[in-house]
Amino acid sequence: MSLFFKGILLEQKKEPMLTRSTLVMRQEFEYFDCDFPDTPLEELSGEQVIELTRLAGIVDESDGKMLWEKLEKANLGEGGTLIVDAIDDEPYISSQMSICIHQPEKLAAGIELCEKVLSPAKTYIAMYRHIFDSNFGIPSKIGKYHVKKIGGRYPAESRVYRHIPKGKNSVIVGACAMLHLARAAEESRKMTSCFVTVAGDVVKNPRNVEVPIGTTAEKILELCGLTEEPETIVLGGSMTGRAIFEPENETVGPTTRGVIALARSYGTYSYTCIGCGRCDHACPKALSVCAMRKFAEAGKLDELQKYDVSMCIGCGACSYVCPSRIDVSATLLKAKKQIEIAKKEGTL
Amino acid sequence: MKDRLMFQNAPHVRQSESVVTMMTDVIFALLPVYLMCFFYYGARSLVLGLCGAFFCCAFSAIGSLLLREKPVPDLTPVITGLIIPLLMPADIPYYILISACTVAILVVKLPFGGTGSNLFNPAAVGFASVAICWPELVFRYPATMQSIEVFGETTAKFAQSPAYSLSLGAVPDHNVLDMLLGSAPGPMGATNILVVVACGIFLIVKKAVNWITPVSFLVPYALLCLLFPRIGGSPFDALCFELFSGTVVFGAFFMLTEPVTSPKRDFGKLMAGISSAVVVFLFRYFGGFEMGFASALIVMNVFSPLFDAVCENILHVLRHGDSIVSTFKAEFDRKKAAKEPAVKVVFEESPETEEIQEVVEEIDLSEKEETGEEAVQ
Repeated sequence: MSLFFKGILLEQKKEPMLTRSTLVMRQEFEYFDCDFPDTPLEELSGEQVIELTRLAGIVDESDGKMLWEKLEKANLGEGGTLIVDAIDDEPYISSQMSICIHQPEKLAAGIELCEKVLSPAKTYIAMYRHIFDSNFGIPSKIGKYHVKKIGGRYPAESRVYRHIPKGKNSVIVGACAMLHLARAAEESRKMTSCFVTVAGDVVKNPRNVEVPIGTTAEKILELCGLTEEPETIVLGGSMTGRAIFEPENETVGPTTRGVIALARSYGTYSYTCIGCGRCDHACPKALSVCAMRKFAEAGKLDELQKYDVSMCIGCGACSYVCPSRIDVSATLLKAKKQIEIAKKEGTL
Repeated sequence: MKDRLMFQNAPHVRQSESVVTMMTDVIFALLPVYLMCFFYYGARSLVLGLCGAFFCCAFSAIGSLLLREKPVPDLTPVITGLIIPLLMPADIPYYILISACTVAILVVKLPFGGTGSNLFNPAAVGFASVAICWPELVFRYPATMQSIEVFGETTAKFAQSPAYSLSLGAVPDHNVLDMLLGSAPGPMGATNILVVVACGIFLIVKKAVNWITPVSFLVPYALLCLLFPRIGGSPFDALCFELFSGTVVFGAFFMLTEPVTSPKRDFGKLMAGISSAVVVFLFRYFGGFEMGFASALIVMNVFSPLFDAVCENILHVLRHGDSIVSTFKAEFDRKKAAKEPAVKVVFEESPETEEIQEVVEEIDLSEKEETGEEAVQ
């Protein structure tokens, strides 16, 4: 499969958010009571750590699941791997990487607690390496944990699994969740905030901010300032996020990675597909995107299923490269949903 | 802030390249070829190019008006209109050029759905149709370095083209350098090999064209010409004459690489390139006309969806490799278990014989159960 892996090269645009320290929005922290308040960190047992995560209500930002459920269910077995996800391969987004760079001690403490539950044979932190616009060197070690630098083209996140030895289990946890775990153990603090990158070409003071969960996009943009009226505001990553209309009502959650304000929307062309096949080459899953788009527009769901539309990960690489600016990725994701619904109803 | 916000779908950053930049790259690449034509044949070549581009645009505008669609600022007819005159001699009458443009746009392109939906290369079909209708005018080439009258009757001196000599089995009376520089008679734009190759490399560097298509076409074609020369003499000379005569190099860079009618994946492009090399060679080796390339291209355009399907099937097997292998294995095991009784291994005069036999039987039974379950699933 690696022979056909293409992906796309993206300008990362992570500066100056990555080198600037995290801005913390003024907020009141909430604390919880636990039965073992005075136990030092080193003496905490696995069950106690899970209890801490449950009390603190930590949500894993990499997949949106509750961390305590994830830790309870996880069974690494022998030779398992714990991967801390700090791959920010989307342009502008650097909320996880900034934690690795600016708060390494807390992150390492959180990972140590997590290791007590899972007892993995190997632990590493995965970070994206190819950030050419930054002079910032990615550290090779954070605390005692090795940093695995994932290189190559977007999307890099699917390639993390290549470094796992075959036949062994692995668990991926988010870097922000680890930070919150360390805070819960040290200060008995609940997870009430999330890390968000505020960026874009009309943001006056682009940087990573820590805001309370439930803050509206408008307030976050006010915090960093705008130079002019944006035409597009995106909640989430620049490749997979969604454009919003009501910034005063849209709030950030634990899985929100960024708020991006752009001066221009990319606009639409009225050109048809000329069949250049660039989408086929960009697809990281080696799907025949060009043919699938035609089937999706014609509504041929059975054909789409033969072409494995269910393997689409929605990375948006096909839409990025399309010279006619067709929303290929959105069309395919819609068709994928239609197929799922049709399967549930039993019509397909 | 609210009034200005626009809706857009997921990737919010997009590549700056677009269809327009791709098409303008191709047009820019065609301009030096026209300059060489102007140098060899005078102003008539430029007028032919303008005429072709104008009529192709006009026909596609008429077509979109007839279909009651909003006309799109589209540059593909310009490219078609610029390529068709380059395949023809410089003294071609205007009515032949216009009829080629008519066929290219109104017969090949619009009835199938306009840009992006045509089955055949419009320029190739347009040229092939006029070559069949007026072969005596299309294959009569004027000698180079003479200024041909722009309008009215032309009084050009004619010369025998190398491609025609080759089709008769004769050695052309031009040297290789002449053919590289384009001073040998032939189609207006296709004889300037060095300029055409330079423009092709420009297109490859600008990524308007995939490098696989021209390379996978020219290399096997050159090999075939080396193996089966049509003329005597040294094989290298024969190779040069075959490659540099006719529209082979021009077509490899400008016509074979047309995105609409070529396969989508690299492997498909490779297959299409190699097979079109074989077909072009057969057309030129056995064909009566010397215009082997255009007809071979039309034949090969039919097969490009097939190459796409082959690629998709290969990738399908690769994607589902594990599951396909396991289903085959389960099927094989089931058949084997149904045919043969479980093999009993008997060790003679061994103290542990009975134990081993029991273990072997147990394993057989458990295997049977497993395969049975899989087959049920």
